[in-house]
Amino acid sequence: MKKEEKNQRKKESYSFKKLPIIYLPIILLFVIILVFYIGNQSFLSLYNLKTIGNTASIILSVSLGQFFVLLIGSIDLSVGGIMSLVSVVYLITLGKFGIFGFPITLIIAGLAGLVNGIIYTKFKIPSFITTLATGGIFVSITYLISKAPIAASFSIMKYLEIINGSILNINGSLIIVTLLAFLYFIIQKYSYLGRILFSIGSNEKMSWMSGIDLDKMKIYAFILSGLGSGISGIILASNLYSGSAILGEFYVLESIAAVVVGGTALSGGCGSVLNTIVGALLMSVIKNGMTVIGINVYAQQAFLGVIIIGAVAITLDRGKVIVVK
Amino acid sequence: MENKKIIEMKKIYKSFPGVKALKNVEFNVNKNEIVGLVGENGAGKSTLMKIIIGLYKEDSGIIKINGKESKIRNPKKAAENGVGMLFQESSLIYNFTIAENIFLCHEHEFNYRFFLPKKEMLEESKKLLEKVGLTAYPDTIISNLSRSSQQMVEIARLLWLSKISSVGNPVLIFDEPTTVLLSEEIEQLFKISKNLKKEASIIFISHRLDEVFNLSDRIVVLKDGENVGNFGVNDIKQENLEQLMVGHELARDHFLEKDQIESDSDKEEVIQIIKMEKKGKFKPISFSIKKGEILGLSGASGSGKEEICKCIMGITKKDRGKLKLTGKEIEINSPRDAVQYGIGYVPIDRRNEGLSLQLDVLSNITLLVLERLLNRFRIINLKEEKKLALNLVKELFIKTPSLYTAVSTISGGNQQKIILAKWLAKNVKVLILNHPTRGIDVGSKQEIYKRIRQLAKGGMAIILISDTLEENIGLSNRILVFRDGKQKAEIECKKGSKPIPADIIGYMI
Repeated sequence: MKKEEKNQRKKESYSFKKLPIIYLPIILLFVIILVFYIGNQSFLSLYNLKTIGNTASIILSVSLGQFFVLLIGSIDLSVGGIMSLVSVVYLITLGKFGIFGFPITLIIAGLAGLVNGIIYTKFKIPSFITTLATGGIFVSITYLISKAPIAASFSIMKYLEIINGSILNINGSLIIVTLLAFLYFIIQKYSYLGRILFSIGSNEKMSWMSGIDLDKMKIYAFILSGLGSGISGIILASNLYSGSAILGEFYVLESIAAVVVGGTALSGGCGSVLNTIVGALLMSVIKNGMTVIGINVYAQQAFLGVIIIGAVAITLDRGKVIVVK
Repeated sequence: MENKKIIEMKKIYKSFPGVKALKNVEFNVNKNEIVGLVGENGAGKSTLMKIIIGLYKEDSGIIKINGKESKIRNPKKAAENGVGMLFQESSLIYNFTIAENIFLCHEHEFNYRFFLPKKEMLEESKKLLEKVGLTAYPDTIISNLSRSSQQMVEIARLLWLSKISSVGNPVLIFDEPTTVLLSEEIEQLFKISKNLKKEASIIFISHRLDEVFNLSDRIVVLKDGENVGNFGVNDIKQENLEQLMVGHELARDHFLEKDQIESDSDKEEVIQIIKMEKKGKFKPISFSIKKGEILGLSGASGSGKEEICKCIMGITKKDRGKLKLTGKEIEINSPRDAVQYGIGYVPIDRRNEGLSLQLDVLSNITLLVLERLLNRFRIINLKEEKKLALNLVKELFIKTPSLYTAVSTISGGNQQKIILAKWLAKNVKVLILNHPTRGIDVGSKQEIYKRIRQLAKGGMAIILISDTLEENIGLSNRILVFRDGKQKAEIECKKGSKPIPADIIGYMI
C-alpha cells in the first residue's frame, strides 16, 4: 500500500519543461560555421561574410513576414509572387517618383498582404489555397506590367546604391533588414498584436470565445508577411539591377524552411523572431558554405535537404506540439 | 455456468494529473447479463469503460476476460476479446453505406481477390441488421439514417466483430445511448438489448435512473472513483440509489454557505434575459440575476441549460429574445460582443476552449486586458502586466512555479483558477460557469468554491451549471430546473434552508 501511495505521489509531481529552447539552433549554427571554416578558411573572410550578409538579408526579411503567418497556424505561399511584383514595381516607381518609390513599393506589398488576409478570413478559404491562388495572380500582374525582365535605368542607380552599398563595411541591405527584424521583434514580444497572434496560434477557439477579433488580427499577420516579402523583393531587385516575374519563385519554400529550421512549428502558437533570424542565417550560411568548400553544385540541393531535415529534427520543440502534420 | 464471469476487474487504480479518477474499483460482468453502471459525472464511469476497451491504461489492477488475465491496450485488441463500445458520439463514417461501415477494416474476412465481394457483404449485413431489428437496406448511406438506426448499425458492427473473433459471449458497452434518442426509439433499443442478452452481456450507462432500473439485472454505483454499491435490480429502490450517487447529507460548510449573499429585492438586477428562444433547443425563457447572486441551472443533458448559456455568450445565435444589462438593452451576436459588454464564460472543455496550453500562465491571465496595459507607444507595459498577473495569482491562490510556466504542466484545479483570473482581470459583470469543477479533485474543488463565493461577494452575477446537483444546490441562491428545453421549476436555495437533491430530480426526469 505504501509503495502504491508513493507511486501516486510520483505521478502527481509535474515535470517542468523549459520554455522555448532557442539555444539549439544557435549551437547548430556555430557548429556548421565551424565545419565550413575548417573546410575553407576564406569562408570567414570579410568578402564572403558580406556575401552571406546579403543573401541572409533577403531570406531573413521574407522569413520574418512568413513567421507571423506560420505563428497563427496558417501559411503564405504568395510571398514569391509578392517579391516578383515588388521587384518590377520598385524599379518602375523609382524611375518615376525617385526616392518615393520606396514607400510606394512597400504600400503595394502591404496591400498584397491585405488582399491575402481579406480573402482568407472573409471568404473563409484556407490560407494554403488563398495564397497559392493569389501568388499566381501576383506573378500574372507582374507579367502584365512587363513581359520581359526590366533592367534598372542609369538614373535610379543612386537609389539602388543605398541598398547595395555599405556603411562601415556593413551592407545597406543588412542594416535595413536589421531594422525590420528589430521592429518585428518588438511587435512579436511587446505589442498587443504579437500576444494575440500567439494566442490565436495556440488555441483559436479559446481566442474566439474570449472575444478576440480573429479576422482583424489574422489580416495584420498577412500584412506583416506582405511587407517582409516587399523588403526582400526590394533588396533582391537592387542586387540584380533588374526585376522579373520569376524573381521570387524560390523564396516561397525557402522562407518556410527557414522559419521551421529556426524552431517554429507549422501548427502555430510557438516560435519567435529570434528563432527565425537564426533559421534564416542557418539557411544562408549553409547555401554559401557548400559553394565555398566546393560541394558539387548538382549535389547541393540534396545536402540542403538533408541538413533541413536534420536541423528540424533537432530544433523543433516537440514537447509543445501535439500534432505534427 | 449461470454466473460465469466474462469480465472481472479488481483493484483498478487510475489517476490523471491532479485527479485520482479510479480508486480500488472492482467491476464484474456475468454471462448474459445487463449491468447498469451509474454515478455522477466525473465518478469514473467513462474512465473505467475506456480501460476495458483499451483506450486508457490502468495504473494498477487486474483485468480478467473469460477467466484469463489480459492486457488490452487498444480497441482492436478489445474487439478480438469480444468487448466493444457504443460511444456517446457516433463512430461511424457518415458518407459510407451501412454495409461498408459494418465491415470496415475487416473486409479481408471475406475471401476476395481485388474487388470487394459486394453481394456477400450485403447478405451478411442483412442478417446482422435483422438481429438488431433494423429494416433499412444495407446499401443506405449512414447520414440518411436516424441517430437510433445509426446506433443499431454500430451494435451490428460490434456483433460482427465478436463473431469473427469467435467469442461466445461478447460484452457490449452502451455509454449513455439514450441521450440522443426519442422515447419510442429508447423502447426499441431496450427491446433489442433484452433480445441480445441471450447471446451477449451489456454494460448500460445512463443518468436516467428509471431506464437503468427498467433494463438492468444488476446495478453498480460509482462515486468519486470508488465503488459505493452493487445491487440486484430488485434489492434497491430508486430513491436509495439517488442518495448513493449524490452522496450523503451535505457536509455543513462544504459550499461555504455562510458566505452566500442573499439577494434582497432592492438589489440591482445585473442581467435580464427576456423571452429568449432557440428553436429545437429551448422554449422562450425569461430570468434575471442580481448583483452577487449565483443562479444555478439544472437539468439532464439535452435539457437546454447549456444552450441557454451559449446563447447569452453569443457562441450560438439565439432565434429570438432580448438581453438587458443593468437595465440597458444589448445585442449579442458573438462572444466578442458579450465580452465587450462584460460577460465572461468559463467553458466546460477547459483544455480546448479555455486556455492556451502551450503558452505561459502570464499570457493566459492577461490575454483580455492587454489593451489596458499599453503605453503611449502602443507597447505592453511588462512591469504592470507582471504586477497584475502576480496579484491575481496571489488573490486566487494559483499554485504555479512561476508566471512563465507553460499552463499545460499545471494541475486541473489551478488551470481552472487561471481561467477565473482571466475573467476577474477583465472585471466582467456577469460570469457563466459551465461545469467549473469538472475533472477536478475534492481539494481543488473546495478552492474553486471559495473563489466563486469571492467573485459573488465582489458583486458579480454568476450563472452556474454544475457537475452535481449537490454542488448546484450548495452554491446557488436560486435554481432553475429544465427539462426538454422548458423551465420546469424555480427553486429557492436560501442560506440554511437548502432543498435536497431529490426535490430537484423530480423536475428533471
